[in-house]
Amino acid sequence: MKHEVLSDALLREFLLGKLDDEDRLQIESLFLVHREARQRVLNAEQDLIEDYLENSLTPPDREIFLSMYARTAAQRQCLRITKSIKDEGMAEATLSQTGPAIIAGRSEFLERLLFRPVLLPPISVTITIAIVITLVWLNSRMRQERFVVDQELTRLNAPASLREVSPEMVSLDLSPLTFRSAVRQVQLKTGTGVQIVELRLPWFQKEHPSAYVAEIRRVDDDESFTIRNVPLESDGRYATRIRLPAQILRPGQYEIRLSVIAANGETDLAEEYQFTVAG
Amino acid sequence: MARNSAIASESFEEILTWLNPDREIAGELYVQLRLDLTKIFVWRKCSDPEGLTDEVFDRVARKVHVVRQSYEGDPRLYFCAVANNLAKETFKKIGTHIPLEGVDLPNHPEKSADDEDIEDCLQRCLRKLSRETRHLILAYYAKEKQAKIDHRQKLAQSLDIPIETLRVKVYRIRESLEGCIGRCFERKAQQKGNGSHEH
Repeated sequence: MKHEVLSDALLREFLLGKLDDEDRLQIESLFLVHREARQRVLNAEQDLIEDYLENSLTPPDREIFLSMYARTAAQRQCLRITKSIKDEGMAEATLSQTGPAIIAGRSEFLERLLFRPVLLPPISVTITIAIVITLVWLNSRMRQERFVVDQELTRLNAPASLREVSPEMVSLDLSPLTFRSAVRQVQLKTGTGVQIVELRLPWFQKEHPSAYVAEIRRVDDDESFTIRNVPLESDGRYATRIRLPAQILRPGQYEIRLSVIAANGETDLAEEYQFTVAG
Repeated sequence: MARNSAIASESFEEILTWLNPDREIAGELYVQLRLDLTKIFVWRKCSDPEGLTDEVFDRVARKVHVVRQSYEGDPRLYFCAVANNLAKETFKKIGTHIPLEGVDLPNHPEKSADDEDIEDCLQRCLRKLSRETRHLILAYYAKEKQAKIDHRQKLAQSLDIPIETLRVKVYRIRESLEGCIGRCFERKAQQKGNGSHEH
C-alpha cells in the first residue's frame, strides 16, 4: 500500500477498526516509517476526535470511538482537556464578537462619571493611595532579594563562569521529559558544602539554535527563575548546561523549560526536563 | 499492565544505535516511536497502551543484540511486528469485549471540580504560550461543524500557509498545550491528596 491511497475515508475506517488485519497492519507500518502518511493519519484522528466532541458521529461510530479514546480515566481526562481547548476557542470568538458592546458599555459608564464631577475627587484619592501602596510593595525586600538571585544566576551562567569548575559544585544529568519512561526521575541531594548545582540537559532535536531561554520552576508554588542566552554546546553530543546557586533550591519537584528565541523575539517551548530536590 | 519499565542502559544504547547511528536522530526516532506505538495500541483498543509500548521495548531490548545483526530494513517495522504480536496475545488472553456504559463524557452544564481544575490549568498553560501561538490555537478552534472548514481555510490564507501546514502547526501546539495541562492537573490532584492526608 502506498501512502497516496490513504484517503480520509479509508483512514476513518482504519481508526474505527473497520479494516481487515492486512490493511490495518499496512497502514500501521506506513504510519511508523512514512512522515507524510503519519501526519495524514494524525489529521484523520484529529477530525475524528472533533467530530465526537461536536456530537457529529453516528451512534455506532460513537460507541467504537469511546471504546478507543474513553476507556480509561486518563483517556477521558485527555478528551476533557481537548474539549476545554476547543471550548476556549469558541468562547474567545464569542467574546471578540461581543467585545465592541462591552467597550460601548464602559464608555457609557465613563460618560456618566464625567457628568457627576462630585465623584471624581474621592475616586482620584483612592486610586492614588492604591498606586502608592503598590509602589511600596514593589520596592519591598522581596524584590531586592530576587534581584540578587537574578544577578547571581546571570553571573554563574556567563560563558566565562561555565568554563570554571568549582569544588563546591555538584552536577546532574537530566533527560528530556519525553524520555521519562526509559529513564528514572533524577533526585538531587544538596548536602553541606554544596554551593552550586550544575544541570546538564541533553539536546536531541534537529535544530541547533545558538542560544535558549531556560525557565526553572518549582512545581509546588510556581516560583520561577529565568536564565537568558544559555548556549548550546557540543562535544559530539549536543547539550546545554545551566548552573544554579544551591540556596535557591528547596525540597520539591522542579521543571526546566528550554525555549528557543525566535527572530521576532518571541520564545517557543522546545524541551522540558524535571528533577526533584530531596528534603 | 501498569508498570514502570527501565531498560538496561546497554540495551537502550543498542536500540538507539540500531534506530540510527547518529545519536541525535536516534533520540528523535526513539521518542517518536514510543508515541506512535502507543497510538497504535489505542487504535487497537488495547486497555493499557503505554504499558504495552513499554513491553514492546522490553521485548526488543532482550533480542536487539542478536536481531540487529541479521535484520534488514527499517528497524521500526520490527517494532511494529512485535507490537502486532503483542496485541494479538493480549486479546487472546483477555478477549475484546469491553462494557461501555457510562464512559461517555459528561455533558452537564454544571462543572465538576475536575473541570474547574482543567479550566484553571488551561488558563495557566495558555499564558505560557507566546501571544501569536495562543491566538493561533484559539482562532483555529473558534468554529465547529461545517463553519469550521471555511474558517480554517481563511485562517490559513491569512497566515499565507497551506491548510495542511496550519493543521500540523496547530497539532503541535495542541500537543504541547495538552501536555502542560495534563501535568498541571496531576500536580493539583497530588496537592489535594497531600491536603486530605494532612487533615
